[in-house]
Amino acid sequence: MTPGLLAQLFLNALSLGSVYVLMVLGLDIIIRGTKILNFAHGQFYMLGAYMLFLLFQIMHLDFALSLVLAGLILGLVGAICYMSIFHVVRQRFTVTTTFSYRLLLSAMASVGLMMILQQGTLLLFGTEERGVKTPFPQMIDILDVRISLMRVIVILAAIVICLLLYFLMYKTTLGKILRAISYDPEAVTLAGINTRWILVFCFALGSALAGFAGGIIAPLFSVTPDMGTDVIFLSLLVLLVGGIGSYKGTILGGLLVGLALSFGFQFLGGIAELFVFLLVIAILSFRPGGLLGEAAD
Amino acid sequence: MKPPTSWKPIHKKLAAAVILIIVFAALPIFIENDYIKHLLIMACVGTILGMSFSMLFSTGLISLGAGAFYAVGAYISASLAMNAGISFWLTFPLTIIISSILALGVGAIFVRNGGIAFVIITLLFASAVVIAAGQIEFLGGWGGIIGIPRPTALGPIQFDSKMSYYYLILIILLLVVLAYYALYTSHIGRAWKAIKLSPNLAGTLGINQYSYRLLAFTIASTTAAAAGSFYAHYFQTVTPGAFSGWLSIYIQLYAVLGGLEFYVMGPAVGSLLMTFIPEYLRIIKEFEPIVTGVLLLVVILFFQGGILGTIVNATKSNGKNNGQGIHSIRSWLKKGKNTGVRES
Amino acid sequence: MALLEVRNITKIFGGLVAVRDLSLDIREGEILGLIGPNGAGKSTLFNIISGFIVPNKGKILFKGESITGLRIDQIAQKGIARIFQEPTLFMQETVFENVLSGFHRHYTQPLWKVFLHTPRANSEEEDKEKKAAEIIEFMGLSTLSGELAANLPHGHQRALAIAIALATEPALLLLDEPVTGMNPTETMEMVGKIKRIRDKGITVLIVEHDMKAVMSLCDRIVVLSLGVKIAENTPADIRKDEQVIEAYLGKQVI
Repeated sequence: MTPGLLAQLFLNALSLGSVYVLMVLGLDIIIRGTKILNFAHGQFYMLGAYMLFLLFQIMHLDFALSLVLAGLILGLVGAICYMSIFHVVRQRFTVTTTFSYRLLLSAMASVGLMMILQQGTLLLFGTEERGVKTPFPQMIDILDVRISLMRVIVILAAIVICLLLYFLMYKTTLGKILRAISYDPEAVTLAGINTRWILVFCFALGSALAGFAGGIIAPLFSVTPDMGTDVIFLSLLVLLVGGIGSYKGTILGGLLVGLALSFGFQFLGGIAELFVFLLVIAILSFRPGGLLGEAAD
Repeated sequence: MKPPTSWKPIHKKLAAAVILIIVFAALPIFIENDYIKHLLIMACVGTILGMSFSMLFSTGLISLGAGAFYAVGAYISASLAMNAGISFWLTFPLTIIISSILALGVGAIFVRNGGIAFVIITLLFASAVVIAAGQIEFLGGWGGIIGIPRPTALGPIQFDSKMSYYYLILIILLLVVLAYYALYTSHIGRAWKAIKLSPNLAGTLGINQYSYRLLAFTIASTTAAAAGSFYAHYFQTVTPGAFSGWLSIYIQLYAVLGGLEFYVMGPAVGSLLMTFIPEYLRIIKEFEPIVTGVLLLVVILFFQGGILGTIVNATKSNGKNNGQGIHSIRSWLKKGKNTGVRES
Repeated sequence: MALLEVRNITKIFGGLVAVRDLSLDIREGEILGLIGPNGAGKSTLFNIISGFIVPNKGKILFKGESITGLRIDQIAQKGIARIFQEPTLFMQETVFENVLSGFHRHYTQPLWKVFLHTPRANSEEEDKEKKAAEIIEFMGLSTLSGELAANLPHGHQRALAIAIALATEPALLLLDEPVTGMNPTETMEMVGKIKRIRDKGITVLIVEHDMKAVMSLCDRIVVLSLGVKIAENTPADIRKDEQVIEAYLGKQVI
């Protein structure tokens, strides 16, 4: 095995991992705020990729602008979905509704949404694969290693987003509220803050991250209606490995799963996913709640 | 003193289930069409799977892994039949024994994670089982195992018609219903519910959350595996594709549609609907997932408690249920804030 | 004879000392009151005894045997029952089912007998149902037996919480503010019931702000202030204790 191949695999793993990190940060923000396990998250990612296809490929907008727009549009879609579905579901609960019942019904609502979005896209765009031409086709040569610039851009963009999120969560009042709401929603209500709009924002932010992730991956992968279902499984895996409710855990988990998958496919072939799953089981048997997560439940 | 009769509604539910099973036992006499009989058989299988989901849900755990043990059961049965050459009447009990041991082992790790983590881990387990089945040569790879023998004749009863399979699954279903009923009405069922309704209070009553959840996981998974064993000998083919992640999600759908508070009837109603409705939606084939999705959303948004819950509420609309909301709001206001003690 | 011994318990929450080097005994068959201003560490001690909180230092002995660090269900299995300050019930269950759940630790029949509904398993169930009905009657909830717990008024929810705790047939019962928020008539009724519970041979530890109830109920009283025990005596002597009066900052409660 040459150092070139090793570097190539490592870069692939990092870029793949970055996308998982973005996806899972979105999932995690939604779970912590609204307590919804959103299965439609993968469809938001898929829609993000289609948005980029429309804006960048068809309408020839600037790549960065298309990307930001894809994120914003998906944020809006997320907000609309939350208001029209999840908020209504939530209002039907009473004080005595158990946690598991809330979790199940909102998750099932997201499955309904997932079916609609998935099939809707299929009917609208057809099953054929759409390619998005890469805006950065250049290759960088470092010693004897060739690195695709696009993959480097993906990693850099993910780092920028993570830094922005860190700033939002830890340096602003809104971030303080967002963090408080995941621990004690009632205390936030008592402090006179209208939690409803905060929750809408949570969901929109999470969805925007999924849209952004889908958008930035579009030039690397082909865009198809079922790209969302594949990614949601792996995102949930990452969430589990890193631990629900831990941003650091998410980043660690994303990179770990990205590495395990890239190297696994290279050396093990199709059984790689099984191998990754066994890895997760091993981690969970020693650390229930994930690598950096708090105790389960 | 005689306690009021209303505290055991589960007896009424059992009576309803028995009547329903009798009705269903008479059904194939009036049905000529083999395809409809096939759908009825699949609805029974769906009911068993839905009930297994409901059992775990009665402890507050949401499993997306019922489909996994359905596949495990089918594969165990299929490989036993093909490699050891034994008949269904032996593979069926053997499948139950083997899968219960497997479930105990797997559950011991899974059940340590509650809430959202449990949902995800069971979903991943379901897809891992499918991948494993596809990748392992011994299990036939992605092509699956074909040519699994039908159950051998039991005296004069031959298993060569839809009718005979229908009665076979009906008997299995009946046994599962009786066993589940016995559990739900016992202190074990009460302990499960106690864990779901208030883990803290359950703990102070001496209920060990972990071991009771593990028990529920083992029984529920074993039931799903039993259904899988039937499936293998009915279809005579098992392929990994038949057990995709969607299956597990559909199983939950049965329970949610029918009504989550109805551990037996809920999955039965949900499974019947979800088996037959898509058949009539075939005309609008492309829109079928959209219609299913919308149906699911409508039930969750407007008929929480599912179809049965809505019917029961409507029939006693002048009863106590109307006051419940007001009372809960009042007790909530009194409580002020609802923090309580958390387990560390 | 001490049923429960608290030995040098210290609990610190993020630098804040909730309970400091606390020791006390609960004697078999007595009603011990635990009083003190807000933040005195009463609830913390309650949660430590019932296993919800693990102390930083110290030991809890129940019947001479250490129970520190055991899970809540293990402690319950030993015969310690508690009720919560907030009404914690199985809200969507009937009163009867709630109380029946309390008998959990006294079921002895194995799983397969339950499956098969053997006569033994059935008679065990009938026996528990009879006992549950007795407890419900004792707590004055007979007419509400089939009602959902969520639909009960506040006072009855308290009574139901105690009924569930009694169903575990405990040796020690921990009551967290059992009469707070009740009117005087209800309070006197509850005081009478707690005395009758003690007469059944159940030792009671009670945290309560209603001084009238505490004084008339308790055999002995322990006063906590800022996590430290400042007095331990009979109600009559506690009334005169200067340190206690000071701790309550001259409030005319005693």
